[in-house]
Amino acid sequence: MRRVALVGNPNCGKSTLFNRLTGLNQKTSNLPGTTVDSHEGKVKINNEWFELVDLPGIYSLFTNSEYEHVVVSNLIGKNSPKPDAIIYVLDSSNLRRNLLLLSQVAELKIPAVCVLTMEDTAARRDIKINAAELNKVLGIPVISLNPRISKDLKPIELLFSKFTEGTLISDNPDMHEKLTRFLNGEPNRGISTETLNRYSNIDSIVKRIVIRENKKREGNTLKIDKWVTHPITGFLIFFGIMLAIFQGVFSLAEYPMTLIEHSFSWLRSQTSGFTSNEYIIDFINSGLLSGLEGVIVFLPQIFILFFLIGILEDSGYMVRASFLSDQLMRKLGLNGRSIIPLIGGFACAIPAIMATRTIRNRSERLATMLVVPLMSCSARIPVYILLISLIVPAGVLWGPIPAQTLLMTLAYFAGIIMALILAVFFKMLGKNKEQSEFVLELPTYQAPRIQTVINGAWLRCKSFLNEAGRIIVIISIVLWALSSFGPDNAMKEAYNKAQIAAEKNPDKKEQIEQSYLLEASYAGHLGKMIEPVIEPLGYDWKTGIALISSFAAREVFVGTMSTLFQTGTNNENVVGIRKKMQAEINPTTGKPAYGIGYAVSLMLFYAFALQCISTMAVLKKETQTWKWSIILFFLYGSVAYLSAFAAFQFIGNA
Amino acid sequence: MSEQTAKDLRFECPAEIIKLTEGELNQKLAEMGCVPGTEIEKLYSAPSGDPIAFRIDSYVLGLRSSEAEQIVVKTNDELETSI
Repeated sequence: MRRVALVGNPNCGKSTLFNRLTGLNQKTSNLPGTTVDSHEGKVKINNEWFELVDLPGIYSLFTNSEYEHVVVSNLIGKNSPKPDAIIYVLDSSNLRRNLLLLSQVAELKIPAVCVLTMEDTAARRDIKINAAELNKVLGIPVISLNPRISKDLKPIELLFSKFTEGTLISDNPDMHEKLTRFLNGEPNRGISTETLNRYSNIDSIVKRIVIRENKKREGNTLKIDKWVTHPITGFLIFFGIMLAIFQGVFSLAEYPMTLIEHSFSWLRSQTSGFTSNEYIIDFINSGLLSGLEGVIVFLPQIFILFFLIGILEDSGYMVRASFLSDQLMRKLGLNGRSIIPLIGGFACAIPAIMATRTIRNRSERLATMLVVPLMSCSARIPVYILLISLIVPAGVLWGPIPAQTLLMTLAYFAGIIMALILAVFFKMLGKNKEQSEFVLELPTYQAPRIQTVINGAWLRCKSFLNEAGRIIVIISIVLWALSSFGPDNAMKEAYNKAQIAAEKNPDKKEQIEQSYLLEASYAGHLGKMIEPVIEPLGYDWKTGIALISSFAAREVFVGTMSTLFQTGTNNENVVGIRKKMQAEINPTTGKPAYGIGYAVSLMLFYAFALQCISTMAVLKKETQTWKWSIILFFLYGSVAYLSAFAAFQFIGNA
Repeated sequence: MSEQTAKDLRFECPAEIIKLTEGELNQKLAEMGCVPGTEIEKLYSAPSGDPIAFRIDSYVLGLRSSEAEQIVVKTNDELETSI
């Protein structure tokens, strides 16, 4: 099977072409030692299968970052088979800069063809390309095609039988050797001069091929950008879009999430049909299925958030958001490019940490990864909802704003503000050794391609399933074991006590049993063991158990509390747990055990603490060391503990 | 007379790139098409004035003002008066 590589600048329509040709028949691969994805797919043309590789979009082979390393290794056949042919994808509206990369790659003398995209954008700026002349100059077949709008891909398919070794734009000897040196990190002298020479050759070609009657700019993009970067309208647009995204995520994700919950309830009701062994049923229902549900229930929110971010990325807005925020981000030791991972963190820290790969400066990338877990992810929402309902009932208005909405917003801001503070803290501690740079192309706005956006969002979901999924299921099973088993004597005693207690309330027998047994289990012992540590924060041993079980995924807190308060295992039953929690009296103080101080303290704890093993695992993978995961665990743990302590001591349990 | 850099340009007054000052970003800027002889025009900036968006020949590039300072330019009087 012949291997064909797609080579081109960022934003030239290369990935759109790739998606159009391969459809869903593609996979992502990582070059060993790097974190940059390159996509591969298969396509059948004229009864021949081709292996298509979509290399990351770059401007030049010699910029020193992981993206160029991936492209260069692929092109010279290091760690992967060398491509048999190349499709150059060139943006017609910006041919000059696009030809630089072509002139470099051409010197590898791999047979190639050329596709000119964005003809419509070029036409709007009065730019015409003489494709026939370009064909003559480059010595390879050249066609014009816009993969975003063109319905017919036949012209491209015809190209697959026409790969030709072309003529060189500028002839520099030993490109292969130079690239090998580049990959080994050895210096290449004279690249700057070489770049200037290339441009002077390119300029003489462009003069013959690009017909520009007048130097008109594209009006619409510039007009939009003046609004988008305006001091007032710019921020209004930014916050408007963010608000719309969050509204969209919450309202759209609700239906699939309810569906998932109902499906799992149904599955649980079916397990008793297969076996009568209570332990196996309990293991499947409470261990395995709960773990799986805890993973799958987050997919809708993650998919929808990254789908909406994808629309903003593909249309060109996200680059403007980076442009707007760069100065603030720089002061925090981050980069304008940090904005996408930070927003992604509101769905789930795992894909968001992976999205930091676009930040080239290493300390800025690290700093972004370190603060992403402070963005309130979707697993915290059920915890916040329960705790907020302890503070103030639904429907209460504070001024014009519903009190519960306001408290929820405050919880989000607590995370954001802590992220700002800690970013500054990291900046003061660490030294940024590399040159911090922005240098970011602001491409023409485009209508987003839905298929590209869906593929992107699905990739994020897959990374969540791969990285977090297994860990969440394993931890759920471990927690099930800890809460189902306990020291024999204690368990027997608890069972007997439960029988006596159940006599008064026979229709709740099962829930009462569960609650007593959980208290006597290993998990219950752990909860009581940490009680002295968490008592100053206003928590009792029940909260302790729930805190420990949250290490699988934070929302497990709600399920554990509902078991402890004998409201059954239905996660949705917030009202039932709330009523029981509100009625609970602290035996030593005689005041409510779960008052406002408790709720605020616990919300702060959940906002700050790194209670997510999956996040720690991904952080290890991306930084190649456990160091940062461990540092963050203790740092965010102390921040969470101290702020929860301060809140509880200040407010008390009113 | 001090050299004029892209940072000092007035908005929407096209100019020509003369050279890049020596620096780490030199190569990167050249690759992005900021080479002598190229037309450059300041289009707009972020609310704080930094970063700044420039038209480089036929595309738009966002640069921090410290980065724009590395591009030495010559204003083209003819073009300037025609705005």
